[in-house]
Amino acid sequence: MTADFGIKIEGVSHAYSSGQGQRAAGTLALKQTDLVIHNHEFHALLGPSGCGKSTLLYLIGGFIPVQTGSISTQKGPVTAPGPDRSIVFQNFALFPWKTVLENVMYGLQKKGLPDAECRDIAQAHIKLVQLSGFEQAYPSQLSGGMQQRAAIARTLAVDPDILLMDEPFGALDAQTRRVMQEELRMIWKRRPKTVVFVTHDVHEAVFLADRISIMSARPGRIEHQIETGLGLERDESTLTDRRFVELGEQIWRLVREQAVLASRGGL
Amino acid sequence: MAGSDIPSVSEEDRGSSVVVLAALCVRYLPLAIMLAVWELVGRSGLVSQQMLPGIGAIAAAFLDLLQSGELIVNAWRSLSRAATGLGLAVLIGMAVGLLMATRPMFRTFINPLVRILYPMPKSALIPLVMIWFGLGDASKIFLIFLGCLLPVIVSAYNGARGVNPFIIWSASSLGASKDEILREIILPAALPDILSGCRTALAFSFILMVSSEFVIAKDGLGFLIGSLGDGGNYPAMFAVILSVAGTGFVADRLFGSFASHRLRWKEQA
Amino acid sequence: MSPYSASDYRDQLLQTLVLAGLASLWEVSSRAGWVHPFLLPPLSDVLVRLFTDMQSGAVFVDLGLTLYRALTGFMIAAMLAVPLGLLMARRRGVQWFFDPLISIGFPMPKIAFVPIFILWFDIYDTSKVIMITFSCFFPIVTATYSGTSQIDKWPLWSARSLGATESQLLREIILPLASPAILTGLQIALPVGMITTIVTEMLMGGSGVGGAMIAAGRFADSVGVFAGIIEIAILGMVVIRGLDWLRARMLVWHPENRSY
Repeated sequence: MTADFGIKIEGVSHAYSSGQGQRAAGTLALKQTDLVIHNHEFHALLGPSGCGKSTLLYLIGGFIPVQTGSISTQKGPVTAPGPDRSIVFQNFALFPWKTVLENVMYGLQKKGLPDAECRDIAQAHIKLVQLSGFEQAYPSQLSGGMQQRAAIARTLAVDPDILLMDEPFGALDAQTRRVMQEELRMIWKRRPKTVVFVTHDVHEAVFLADRISIMSARPGRIEHQIETGLGLERDESTLTDRRFVELGEQIWRLVREQAVLASRGGL
Repeated sequence: MAGSDIPSVSEEDRGSSVVVLAALCVRYLPLAIMLAVWELVGRSGLVSQQMLPGIGAIAAAFLDLLQSGELIVNAWRSLSRAATGLGLAVLIGMAVGLLMATRPMFRTFINPLVRILYPMPKSALIPLVMIWFGLGDASKIFLIFLGCLLPVIVSAYNGARGVNPFIIWSASSLGASKDEILREIILPAALPDILSGCRTALAFSFILMVSSEFVIAKDGLGFLIGSLGDGGNYPAMFAVILSVAGTGFVADRLFGSFASHRLRWKEQA
Repeated sequence: MSPYSASDYRDQLLQTLVLAGLASLWEVSSRAGWVHPFLLPPLSDVLVRLFTDMQSGAVFVDLGLTLYRALTGFMIAAMLAVPLGLLMARRRGVQWFFDPLISIGFPMPKIAFVPIFILWFDIYDTSKVIMITFSCFFPIVTATYSGTSQIDKWPLWSARSLGATESQLLREIILPLASPAILTGLQIALPVGMITTIVTEMLMGGSGVGGAMIAAGRFADSVGVFAGIIEIAILGMVVIRGLDWLRARMLVWHPENRSY
């Protein structure tokens, strides 16, 4: 049985109890969220900080349990983390005691593949993210951009159906970030997957995504959904495209509204 | 702690062994000065030779002890006790600390004991282990074990609790099971803390080894020091004390280089 | 202080219950004869002994003496080691002379030197206090030196550009910035000092908990030994908690004391 959706989120609310994270007791992070993400769609979740967009991503990943509502993928309801939904974090979260190659091989080994095959697949993905020659380097020896490439390679290597990205370029400088965005879009074009990309950068969302969900201030909800309609190809010229500029302005106004609401909400 | 003070030679000096040697001399000159002062104070008669035996006398006594086998036999007794107690403490302490950090029920049961035992000066248990295990090896090994156990537990616990949760999440999204996460992710990620706890434990093992042998005097280096002192053979007493101090120093340095080798992934390029 | 949630309270309660359970197990196993009462005298006997010794005042004399020796030695060590550590980090000459001595002395088991101190200073308080000072000195000086060397240059440059002199820099900028590391050194040194105090008391005699315990051990008075262990455990907890408290007080400005 294959459903026509990539991820289906129905009536999901989430409250943080005290002792979980640094949030105050009983904060409602998500309220009655519904969202359908299509198969092989590049979907961006956009919103002011603290709107619950990362929470939604972690729920899809199965890292935190769903309290109310339901989340399902083609493989059925989400209950726990799994290699069908792999994630890239803002702070890379590489294993610092493993080399780049060992990092990328980790998920493959967990699949039970023979060592030689793990090595080949890992090498191919290291090449894909243009890190060849750094296989034996430890993460601490790499720049931020290179660490994030390694993290992306590690995640892509397990060939997940769904790729979750939690502000993956947030810790990078502006130039590196631009390059990484183009490369990510290129990799995705070659290997279409359902991508959920969390960001608070409006232009990043517009540049990368097919569809953008704008989330409201806490408690988070999907407030607007916008098709970017910028086509498959994205490159330098996209940045000066009329539609790109207009969309950017329109979405920026919507996000700003929510950000103002959030700052009034006494956070 | 004082881990990185192996003779530091600046970049541009590297390659020239003469310069390296000169740097070593300059670095350790203060030690030579201290030894010279020691020798001079002894010779000048300011302090009696009884109180401060000359370096020559101490060296001669050291060689005698070495030849008679007294030093070797007692050192073997002491060090095997320390190693047994420390080894058990490291193995068990690591397991307990990691389990405390990952299994809340386990923590609830063990934490009260840790909180009571951790701040207790372990030397206070010497009379107790004497009552429990007599004057032989078991009492000293148990004391060393208990003294070393707590720093290892606490460091493993803190290290495991401090592991970046995103690393754990990454591993689980790559398909690692709970057990695999504990062994393959939490353990290596906590290793820096665990190793520094082990270094503390190593220091404690020497302290408790010598203390227990002083008090429960039967054999071992602590006993040897005491009996030489009682017999008025001060050069020999100084020789054994300095051997113990030197062994403690060497053990710490060896452990330090082992630790930095294991943690080479932390170094920046 | 972070506020406790309901589950924290439940955990605290459970932990207290675990302790109570262990205490009862101790009492019962000894009373029922599962363990020989010489090896493990009933907890109630130990508590009664503690109580009678408290009434006679013996506990307070012993505890007082032990505490006095430990803290005197510890504080002398701190007064010598902190300035030396600061100077080592700021003056190359001082660093050159002391660094090799300290880095060799730091990992040595200082307790082995007790017989030398007995030889030099006899077995009375002077000797004990000097021995305690000696064993506390190295961790404090090492922590102070490494903490001071690792201070960022930015606050120092800011202070300089605001017109601070070298001695003002040392007292008003460097000392506070190094204080977390210095306090860590003190926190390492204090337990070492306590261990040393007990051992010196056991070896040199005189009043004090260590001496009293070793006497109890020699007379096969296991109730006395256990009473001593409880006294020392409480003493150790009090001084270590005291130092933790002092740290929190002194470092209110530091991120480690941030409460959400």
